[in-house]
This record gives sequence, C-alpha cells and structure tokens, in this order.
Amino acid sequence: MRMTGDAADDDSSEEGDGRHTRMLQGITGMPSEAFEGKKKRKMKDDGIPELYPESEYNPSRDVVDGDGQISIDDLLNPLQDNPGFGKLRKRIQQIENNSKAIHAPLRTADQAKVERKAAYEISKKEVTKWQQIIQRNREAPTLLFDENIDLGFSTVGAIASEFEPRTEFERKMAALVSDDKVMEAYKKDGSRLLEMNTVSVEEEKDRQSRIAKMRSLLFRHELKAKRIKKIKSKTYHRLLKKDRLKTEYSKIQMDPEVAKEFAMKQERLRAEERMTLRHKNQNRWAKRILTRGLNSQDEGTRAAIAEQLQRHSELTRKMHSMKDSSSSSDGDDEDAGSDQDMGSKVLGKAIEKTMKVIQDDDETPKSGLLSLPFMRRGLEKNKAAAIEEANLALQEYKDSKKKLENSVGSEGPEATSISGRRVFGASKTQISDAGNKVKSDYNYGSSDSEDDLRASKNGNIETQRSNILQKDVNTDPVLIQEDTDNHQESVFKDFNEIVKNPGPKTTYEVSLFVSDTWKKAGNRDEKGTNVKKSAMPSGSVRQDRKDTEKEVEEDSDTDSEGQMVDRILTSGSKLSYELPSQEELIRQAFAGDDLEDEFEKDKMEILNAENPEPEKPVLLPGWGQWTHVQKKKGLPSWMLKEHENAWKKREEAIKKRKDAQLKNVIISEKLDKKAEKLHTKALPFPFTSKEAFEQSMRVPIGPESNPATAIGALNRPEVVKRPGVIIKPIQFEEVNPHEKPEERRGDKHRSKKNKGSGGRSMKKTSA
Amino acid sequence: MKVKVISRSVDDFTRERSQDLQRVFRNYDPSLRTQEKAVEYVRALNAVKLDKIFARPFIGAMDGHIDGVSCMAKNPTQLKWIFSGAMDGDIRLWDIASRRTVCQFPGHQGAVRGLTVSTDGRMLVSCGTDCTVRLWNTSADNIMELSNSTKNSVEPASVHVGKNAYLAVDHQWDSELFATAGAQLDIWNHNRSEPINSFQWGSDSVISVRFNPGEPNLLATSANDRSIMLYDLRMVSPVRKMIMMTKTNSIAWNPMEPINFTAANEDGNCYSYDARKLDEAKCVHRDHVSAVMDIDYSPTGREFVTGSYDRTVRFFYYNSGHSREIYHTKRMQRVFCVKFSGDGSYVISGSDDTNLRLWKAKASEQLGVVLPRERKKHEYHAAIKKRYMHLPEVKRIERHRHLPKPIYKAATLMRAMSDARKRKEERRKAHSAPGSVTTQPLRRRRIIKEVE
Repeated sequence: MRMTGDAADDDSSEEGDGRHTRMLQGITGMPSEAFEGKKKRKMKDDGIPELYPESEYNPSRDVVDGDGQISIDDLLNPLQDNPGFGKLRKRIQQIENNSKAIHAPLRTADQAKVERKAAYEISKKEVTKWQQIIQRNREAPTLLFDENIDLGFSTVGAIASEFEPRTEFERKMAALVSDDKVMEAYKKDGSRLLEMNTVSVEEEKDRQSRIAKMRSLLFRHELKAKRIKKIKSKTYHRLLKKDRLKTEYSKIQMDPEVAKEFAMKQERLRAEERMTLRHKNQNRWAKRILTRGLNSQDEGTRAAIAEQLQRHSELTRKMHSMKDSSSSSDGDDEDAGSDQDMGSKVLGKAIEKTMKVIQDDDETPKSGLLSLPFMRRGLEKNKAAAIEEANLALQEYKDSKKKLENSVGSEGPEATSISGRRVFGASKTQISDAGNKVKSDYNYGSSDSEDDLRASKNGNIETQRSNILQKDVNTDPVLIQEDTDNHQESVFKDFNEIVKNPGPKTTYEVSLFVSDTWKKAGNRDEKGTNVKKSAMPSGSVRQDRKDTEKEVEEDSDTDSEGQMVDRILTSGSKLSYELPSQEELIRQAFAGDDLEDEFEKDKMEILNAENPEPEKPVLLPGWGQWTHVQKKKGLPSWMLKEHENAWKKREEAIKKRKDAQLKNVIISEKLDKKAEKLHTKALPFPFTSKEAFEQSMRVPIGPESNPATAIGALNRPEVVKRPGVIIKPIQFEEVNPHEKPEERRGDKHRSKKNKGSGGRSMKKTSA
Repeated sequence: MKVKVISRSVDDFTRERSQDLQRVFRNYDPSLRTQEKAVEYVRALNAVKLDKIFARPFIGAMDGHIDGVSCMAKNPTQLKWIFSGAMDGDIRLWDIASRRTVCQFPGHQGAVRGLTVSTDGRMLVSCGTDCTVRLWNTSADNIMELSNSTKNSVEPASVHVGKNAYLAVDHQWDSELFATAGAQLDIWNHNRSEPINSFQWGSDSVISVRFNPGEPNLLATSANDRSIMLYDLRMVSPVRKMIMMTKTNSIAWNPMEPINFTAANEDGNCYSYDARKLDEAKCVHRDHVSAVMDIDYSPTGREFVTGSYDRTVRFFYYNSGHSREIYHTKRMQRVFCVKFSGDGSYVISGSDDTNLRLWKAKASEQLGVVLPRERKKHEYHAAIKKRYMHLPEVKRIERHRHLPKPIYKAATLMRAMSDARKRKEERRKAHSAPGSVTTQPLRRRRIIKEVE
C-alpha cells in the first residue's frame, strides 16, 4: 500500500495524473484526497504563476476545478502581520513535510492474520536460539544428567557446624558447652594432659620393633599355614593328624585340666553317637553298600565299613568297659615304655582266661536238643578237641612269654624304631621293614575284626588275644621272618578254633584276614619283582640298549636337515645308475596320474554342484500316453522352452563366475551359511560406507582387551542418569557455535571438578 | 652375559586386604587376541538374550478408582507422588513406593479431564466437565497432615466456575500461570478468579494444551477441528495453526529440545514437529494400531512414552520411526494417560480399567542399588549390544516381542493395507507420464494445510 503511494510520487507527467489517481482509487479503495494532496503540493512547488489576481471574481484555480476547499495556507495568510507568525509557519511546514497518509483499518480477520504472521516470525526467531544447544546435545556421545547433585553436607564436621540447638535440653547443653569458664578449663586441662602423654623416642622405637616382630611372626605363621593347607598328600595329613593326636595325648597326660576336657569331649562324642547313630551304617553311602551286598564290595570299602562300625562300637560301648580299657591303658602307660613287661602281663592274663574257658566248658546242658545223647557225644568230641587246642595255645603263649623275656635286651631299640609308617624302597632295612609291614597289616586286620569279635559274646577275651597277638608280632619280627606264612596261618587257625561260635561272622573275619594276607602277598611280590629287576642283568642290558638307541636318535635329530639331505644324496651317489634329470624325475614320480585331467574333473564337479544342470523334461508316466497324438507331438513346447532357458541361465552363470577365465583355478562361490549370520544384509542406517561400518566394530571394547582407564569412555552409555534424581527441563545458556567438541569435553571435566560452578544446560538436576 | 628376567616389586603385588583384587597385567596387543571380535559377538548375543530373560517391566498396579482414569499429573518436586483423576470426579494422590492412596480430593461433579501441578509442587489444578477449575493446596506439609488425619480428604483452595466444560489444563514452568482448554484457551493466574487472557481461533473446542517447559511462554494446543495451534503468551494472539487429516489427542514438548514437540494422533501415529516448520513432520512414529491417547516425554528428552486405545503402552526414541518397546497386560484396557517419572526410570499408565500401572522404563533394568562392578558390566553389555545390533541374529532377538493376538492381527492387516497402497501408487506412477503423478512423503501426507 505504501508502494502505491511511492508510485504516485514517481509519476511526474500531469496528464497521466488523473487517470493514475483513478486507477489507484480503484485498486486500493482509498479516497482520492490521499493522492490529490500530494499532487497539489507538487504543483505549488513547481511555482506556476496565476494568470489573474486573486479575488472573489476571479476564483482561484481550485475553485474553478471544483475543489473549493479551504487550505491551511488560506487561513494563515491573514495572520502574516501578527507576531509569532514565523514560528507558526515553520511548524506548519514541518507538519506538512512529515505527514503521511493514514490508512483505513483492515478487516478484523485480515488484521488478525497479519498479527499472527508477525507474531509467528517473532517467536520463531526467539526459539531459534536453542538451535545450537540442541545441535550440541544431539551430537554429544553422552548426556550426563547426574552432575551437580547437591547431596548436602558431606562430612560429619560440616553437619556438626550447622547444628542449632532446638529443644530445651539441647539449649542447656549448648550453654554449658559454650561457657567461657568451661572452655578455658578444658583448654588448660587438655594441654596438661598432652604434656603427660609424652612418649620417648626409645620407647616408641621399642614398641614399633616389637609390633614389627609380632607382625612378621604372624605373617610367617600364616604363610606356613597356607602352604600346609595346600598340601594334598593324604599320607602327610595322616601323619600330621597322628602328630597332633600324640601331642594332645601327651598334654592330656601332663595336665589334669586338659585330661578333664578331653574326657568331657569324649563323653560328648559318645552321647552324640548314641543319639545320632552316625556310624552305624546310617549314612547313605553305607546303606547303599549294604543293599548291594558287602561281599560284592572291594577290599577298601569293606575295610572302611568295618572301621566305621568299630568306631561306632567304640563310641557306644558301655562306660564301665571304656573305663576298664582306659584304666588298662593307663596301667600300660604307668608301666611306661617297658613293653615287654606289659606283653608278659597280657600273656599271663590270656593264659588265665584260657584256663578259665577250659574249666567253664565242663558244664553240659541237661535238657533240650543238646541233651540228646548223640548231640552230647558230638559236643564232647568238640570239647575235647577244643581243650586240646586250648592247651596247645596255652603252650604257645607260654613259649612266647619266654621268648619275650629272653629278647628284652635286643628288642629295645628295634621297638623304638618301629613306627606305624610304611617305608618303601629302603633296601637296607628291607627285612625289618617287611616285618613292620606284616605287623601293621596285622594291626589293620585285627582292628577290622575287633568290632565283630566284640560283638560276639565273649568279645573281651578275643580282644585280649588279638592284643596279645599284636604284641607277639610286635615284639619279635625276626621270628615272623623265619616262618612267615605258616606261622601266621597257624596262629590264625588257633585263633579261629578258639573262637567258640563259628558262624558267618567268623567266616567274614577269615575273609578279611585272607584279604590281608593277599595284600601282603602282593607286597611281597612287588618286592620280589624289585629284586628281580635289580638282580636280572638282561633287563638292564635291554634298558641300556634302548638308551643307546635313544641317544643315536637324538643325535640324528640334532643334525640339521641339510645333513639329512646330504645323506640321501650320498646314498643316491653310491648307487650304480646315473642320476636322471629333474623333469624326468618328476615325470617318473607322477607317471601314473593325469593331474590336469583330474583337476578339470574336479572343477566340473564343483561347477555342477554350484550351478546344477537342469533336469531333462519328462512327462509324468501314464499322462497323455493313451492316445498316439501326444506321442507323436512329443513334449509340449513350453517344457522344451523352459528347459532351454534353464540351460542358458546355467551357462550364463558359469560364464559369470570368477574362475570362468582362469584355467588353473577354482573359486568357490558357495555361500557359507554359518558366516552369513555374521553379516548384515544391507548397510545399516547411520553408516555411509562399508568400510566405516566395519571400522566401527574393529577394535574390541571389552575389559580384557582394553586398559581400565579406557573402558569407561569406550562403554559409556548415551544417557547417564541416576535413578531417584529428578531431571529438570533444559535452561538456556549461550553456546559458542565455533567451539570444538574436544574443548567442550575438556570443559566438562573441569566443570566436574569444580562442582556447582557450571551452569550447563543439560545438567540441571536436583536431588 | 645379560640375563633377562621378570622383576616385580613385592609391594606392588601385595594386597592390603584379602578382599582386594589381585593385580593383573595384560598384554593388550590385538594380534595376541585374534578371536576377540567373535567373543564379543557371542557376548552381545548373550546380553540380548539375558535382556529377554530379565525383562519384567510391570512393577505393580495402583487400584482404588472406581471409574476409568482420565488424567494424571506428576509433582515436579517429588518423585514418589502422582495425582490421578477419574471419570467419576475422583482425584487421588498416590504414593508410588507403597502403591497406596495417600489422600483424595473430592469435589468434582463430573469427569476430571485435566490435572496439573505447579512447579514448586504447592498447587494442584484440576478441571473437569462440570465447568469448574479447582485449585488445591498440595504442599508437602499439608499432604502429610492429610495423610495422617482420619478423614483423608481436603477442601479446595479455590473454585472457579466457567461457562463451558474444561477438557485440559497445564501449568507453566516456574510461574503462577496455568492454561485451561475447553471452548477456548484460558490463561489463569493462581491469585485471580477470572482468566487473565483468553484465546480463540476457530469455533471448535480445544482438547489438549501443553506448555513448553524449556521455553515457558510457548504453548501448543490441539482442537477438535483436527488442528494443532501454537501460542506465545508474549503476543496478544495465537501464533500458528496447522490442520491435519485426523485429530491430535495430546501434545508433548521435548523438555530438552524446546523447539520440538510430538503430537499423538488419532490415526495411531505420533508426529514430531519443529515448531518453526509446521509444513512437515520431522519424524513419524508408527506402530500403534489404534488412536494414541496420551504422550509424555522422558525428562532426558531422548524418548517418549505413548498410551493408546489399543490397550498398549509403547516407547519411542525421539528420532526413530518405530517403537523400541511395547507393554501390555491382559487386564489393561484402553490407556488414557501416561506419565514418565521425574527421574526417567519409571512410567505410570492410567487406563479404562480404573487402575494406574507402574512400569519400568527399561524392561530389563536392574532395580535397587547397583554396585560399581555391576554397573560397569551393564554398561559393557549395553555397548556391545549397540555395536552388534545390526547383525541379524542379535537384531532378531532384540526386536522380538510377544503381542496380544488382536494387536498382532491388526498390525499385520495395517501393514498389508499400506503395502497394497504403496504398490498401487507405484504402478500408477509407472503407467502414467513421468512427473504427472507425485507421491507425498509420509511426513507430509497427513498434513492438510498450515494456516497463518
């Protein structure tokens, strides 16, 4: 609209004026005065002279034109003489110069539209200020929302400094605490206390060294314990346990307190055993073994079961018997070392008891099955035999007692040297070792049997006897060595025969013993083989030969390959015929096989596998064969065409293969289905090239392949926020658009360090 | 002779406590670890599978309303409180931690259609179809008092009665102004009984209003005439109007990008717009199979949640065309309102079945205190997942969701329809003179015009 006004100004020709004004009027719908006024002014400026003097007879041109309006000039003219006219005229001129056309108001709808448009422009401009911030945040690898969290006071001191007394009590306390007198007194007292606290340098050094020593001791002890704990050897631990028991035992003997404790412990164990019956084949393992049958188990298992049962019986034996045993053992210990004495005593006891048995057995039942005459006869026979054997045994006991007494002097050191430990491979003490072994085996055997024996009616006697046996074996290994097996067997026989009730249990025992002897036999065999090995010269010779061979081989190994080749060559040169040329050699070597043809075949096979030949077109059997028409026609044309197409396709595919032009190469174009899993079908969205995509996952980001300092940055998620922390909406801040992202990151670190200073837009959070 | 030996000082390798980690030195030379990439791929696969295993997003339902939940408001200063309004005029304050009603605000005679809380959390504004706007004092002390007292109800601080029903309300960030939408858009002050300003453009009623939290003077409304309108409180008039083919049910401004907002549309899509260029959407977020009823941005600005009439809640990234997650339960009916929690880790949905439901924003996120080593592990897993996301197996497992049958069928049908349309378009293009048939991109297709 303003434009139109300017256009009017530009138009200088007077003739066009009227028409132009009318046009303007038509377009804009504004009154013609708006344009007229300007025109008039222009005319005045032009200064065209009036033809007639101005009067009411000669009306001014305006009036003639029909424009008889009174202008400001008309009104001003009469005032020319008045004072202040100049001022007035100046002002009028000013107004005239500055005046513009006032437009008529638009329709409200249009007006609103214009307003809205303007408003939109303004608010658009206003909002655009966020562009930089948004850009930056979108490009940032990570958005941090957990910064600038005000957690309040971080230290106790800070909290305490902010403390204000609120309740009555607190106020009283505060008054007391902050009292001047109290403070002064405290200060003085404190200083005095400090004076009293002085420690000399020597004392401190002494203390430190003491502590250091203790620490090092502790450390060493710890190390040792760790090392020992790691040892896996069972033997070692068994020995360790034995040692421990020994020391405990000695302690018990030395210290009545410890003894008492031990007794208490034992008592508790017994009580526990009685309650839980833990060792009476209660656990799953034992039950399973029993259900499977004890006889079908191997040696070790049976031994273990027996041991368990023994332990049970030990723990549940009535107290008086235990006391007996303990007292007897005490008695033994009182005897202290004189094993022989103890042995003789035991033997004496055994003799007594056998005598008693012999005497007791005189009684015969007078009623029941056993009172029948033939039974009685049989019993008597048995008894007679038993008595005979008992007598024999008695004799033996006496013999052994005598021997025992005889071998007092020689036995001492031997007995001390004997320990429960087996020693292998010590050739010097082999014989005695064997004796030891036998002894120990006996021990095992007897201990195994003990339980069951005790279970039997007259258990006590048997234990005694077995003890005696042990002692016997213990005391003279020489004797055992003399008549190893026979003697043992006889002893066992005696033993068995002495036992009154020969039932399944005894057989079981026997089997146990037998197994033991078998074990021994095995041991002996081993020894024998050892001896054989050492004795036999042929074996060693063989070994030697082998060794030498090995050496030779090693030598040849150490030779370089060139030497090997040399050797071959020399061997070749030794031969009488002439050396053929290289080509000939090769021809000879590959005489039988036509490699080229084979390769061709292979290639064709692969080609066929990857681009299979199309099948020959055939009609379904029976279809269309009942008339001659079809037969004459042959296959339908579309089938033939398809077949032809398939052939063409195949040929093209073969031509397109990478190895089509390469004669001596096969390039497989088969797809690897497993590898396909590891490829994307198309390039994923944000990436623009294959290389970039592959680059993106080239370097592993795991903690195994990156230092700890780098992992954090590599694995940082896009948004870091903390649960429970309210995130406030963004607040505006100025952003330098030319700032580099690296600088910004550094900035971030800085702002992290001096918390609370940074007014980051995104990081406005509150706890 | 020079003998090379490894010399290590004992001090460097002695732990101070037995709980300390043993110091381990590694050679990071990649040539020593040729299989590392394969290992990481397998790890990524496992991580994705683990995510599936641990995906238990539903935390619990808040039961108490006796009519459909129509609107919710979160307290900007409190994480654990959320207000909800129901169709029967009931307003409740919920404690999210215990999932119980703290107190009720009775008074509305008709449905409550809008709820909002002032930025300082001291004032709750509610409006409804009973033509009233009610202001409630909800400062923390007051609430504590109310929850401790026996009657469990409260009197409104003030009630303003208007001529028409109010359909939505929203509060300006950090000020005393709030806007109600109904027959026209009214701007109110807490302390005045009359609106201080009214805007009207067109004769259809305004159904939703949302202030821009980043740029508090800007607000957007949607109206029944399928339009989205922008207002600037510094100007005397509305700013711009844009008409789409279908109605926009709700609008959410991105709190971290004050120039962008997303509109939840009746056609099941969400449209992200730049407020400066309304002639085309920046992004079209598709996946819902029915009208999207409500939308709310995560405070991080990186994702938003939508509740739909198809009984599902979906999560979208601010710049992705498809949802990253869908939540549904058998009992959840039409979802009318959704809200992100203030820390961006939970989502609350209110639905027609009178319940509010509390969800995790990340389905497989570990709740509770996460130890630094656990956190590092999670971060590593997330990183490798992101790295191998494009490989087919990982992608397949990650994208797989079990859908309710009706939604699955509807989605398939919609896909078939859109495919058919596309095909037809292509054929039409192929069979007509070049340049005579043009296709509008999806971002513009649903926009009818921009009105100045």
